[in-house]
Amino acid sequence: MLQYFTGYLNQNVTPGEAGNALWALIYILIIFAGVSLIVMAMNWIERKVLAHMQVRLGPMRVGPHGLLQPIADAVKLLTKEDIIPDQADKLVFWMAPVVIVTVAFTTYIVVPFGRTHAVTDMNIGLLFMLGVGSMSTLGVIMAGWASNSHYPLLGSLRSSAQMVSYEIAMGMAVVSAVLMTSLTSGTGTLSMIGIVEAQKAQHVWFIFKFFPLGLIAFFIFAVAMVAETNRTPFDLPEAESELTAGFHTEYSGLRWSLFMLGEYAAMVAVSSIAVTLWLGGWMRPFPNLLKGAAWDTAFSCFPALTFFLLAAMAFRTFVRMPKHPGLRMEKLGLGGFAALLGLIGLVLLVPPVRERITDIYWFMLKVSVFMYLYIWYRGTFPRYRFDQLMKLGWKFMIPTGIVVLILTALVGLRLS
Amino acid sequence: MSVSQFFRRVLLLDLIKGLSVTFRYQQPKHIYTEQYPLERPKIAERYRGLHRLNVNPETGETLCIACNLCALACPEKLIKVSSERDAATGRKKLTTYTVDLSRCMFCGLCEDACSTDAIELTQDFEFALYSRDGLVLDREQLERGPQPTVYEK
Repeated sequence: MLQYFTGYLNQNVTPGEAGNALWALIYILIIFAGVSLIVMAMNWIERKVLAHMQVRLGPMRVGPHGLLQPIADAVKLLTKEDIIPDQADKLVFWMAPVVIVTVAFTTYIVVPFGRTHAVTDMNIGLLFMLGVGSMSTLGVIMAGWASNSHYPLLGSLRSSAQMVSYEIAMGMAVVSAVLMTSLTSGTGTLSMIGIVEAQKAQHVWFIFKFFPLGLIAFFIFAVAMVAETNRTPFDLPEAESELTAGFHTEYSGLRWSLFMLGEYAAMVAVSSIAVTLWLGGWMRPFPNLLKGAAWDTAFSCFPALTFFLLAAMAFRTFVRMPKHPGLRMEKLGLGGFAALLGLIGLVLLVPPVRERITDIYWFMLKVSVFMYLYIWYRGTFPRYRFDQLMKLGWKFMIPTGIVVLILTALVGLRLS
Repeated sequence: MSVSQFFRRVLLLDLIKGLSVTFRYQQPKHIYTEQYPLERPKIAERYRGLHRLNVNPETGETLCIACNLCALACPEKLIKVSSERDAATGRKKLTTYTVDLSRCMFCGLCEDACSTDAIELTQDFEFALYSRDGLVLDREQLERGPQPTVYEK
């Protein structure tokens, strides 16, 4: 039993490939907890960043700088009355948020957080992600239909039209990246890990491959993924000024928070597809330019350094907090938080941990850039009108996607 | 469409300009939000708020001479002044003084009518209450003046 548990650590493969069910379960639990934590953190970061962009302070009252706001929100949502409209289709109404959350979390099975850090490596990993991911439309339509109300129905209709039109452009961009993988061995791969390995073998991130082509494909995907996750400027399914809250108008409390969980989990999932396909997945920056064991060690210290930086920031706020009996708990909490962050940083410096964690760190760093972009877009761009959205999708994105795909194939043929 | 316009649209220069504007605004020094209960807002000097009945700071005696001018000046008849004759000096002495805030519009006419600057409208603006009884201020409360709760950051 113990051998079954520890034996996996010596094999340099994912638990799925090793056939180790126990470690697969551990990975699933870690991913589930981690993604839920990311969603909570995103809640705070989004409110804070958006507030600063709009020259506001954002949450300030619950904990230092509103750090505990997500917890307060969660408590509020869980204790709220759970309303099901009288005329709603009860079963479908109940199932819709479950479908969305299940779909959003199922895609994480193949996300490669590192060479060995994925639940499993499927040879159709990318197809699996796109296929399962697009099933979230089903959840949206179920929610809109079951609510038996005008706004949700209109929201879900918009959602389905939008997702269908942007999925094509997305597919074109993805296929052009998959074509690039075939340059290494003659046959391309759809395996998420295989795609990153191909970038490693070709010594280039696919965003810089065939110079403008990879960049344009990435750009198409970057726009389509915002449309896929229903975020501004493409948030027509939940357009607040027109449809109150779109497909989740009738939802409240826990069910509503499930929708939010699903939305943010889907955002992370789609960002991780973009990172895997174009930004070299878990690879650290400049693996060719700065190679050698010394550079590897230097770059593997980055996770610990990040945590030390965060700890220092928390400690600075802790020191600068004024002395006041009302703030004692808050101050103690912040001091404890800083100490915890420093401790995590110290643990990450230990060589075996450091080597295991460094892949995950670079992957998550690249994903977090996308998460910031999502918030940045939301703070900047106004919402598209529906006909403009369709025009952009069908008349610009899809033709460009097809042209990029054909050009990639032609350039690739010349080279091979 | 001219060539420069075409490149503007293809390279998304307008969108990038917008993004840079929002990015620059993230500096917290741009924020003017007041953290209200922790931070007192700056009230205009001539703002008319809660009443106060001034006392002589040296002796602690009231400045009010119970002339009843403020009660006469009040358009809503909210001020009630009562007095008694001091047998020794023969002067009028203030006994009770009440202001009913429930219909007060803070016009400041009582302040203008006062010949000894006894009644004054302060800059305090926090007089929300849980019951209507508290809206009638008696002499003691008026002499104590507004006592705003001070929170610390």
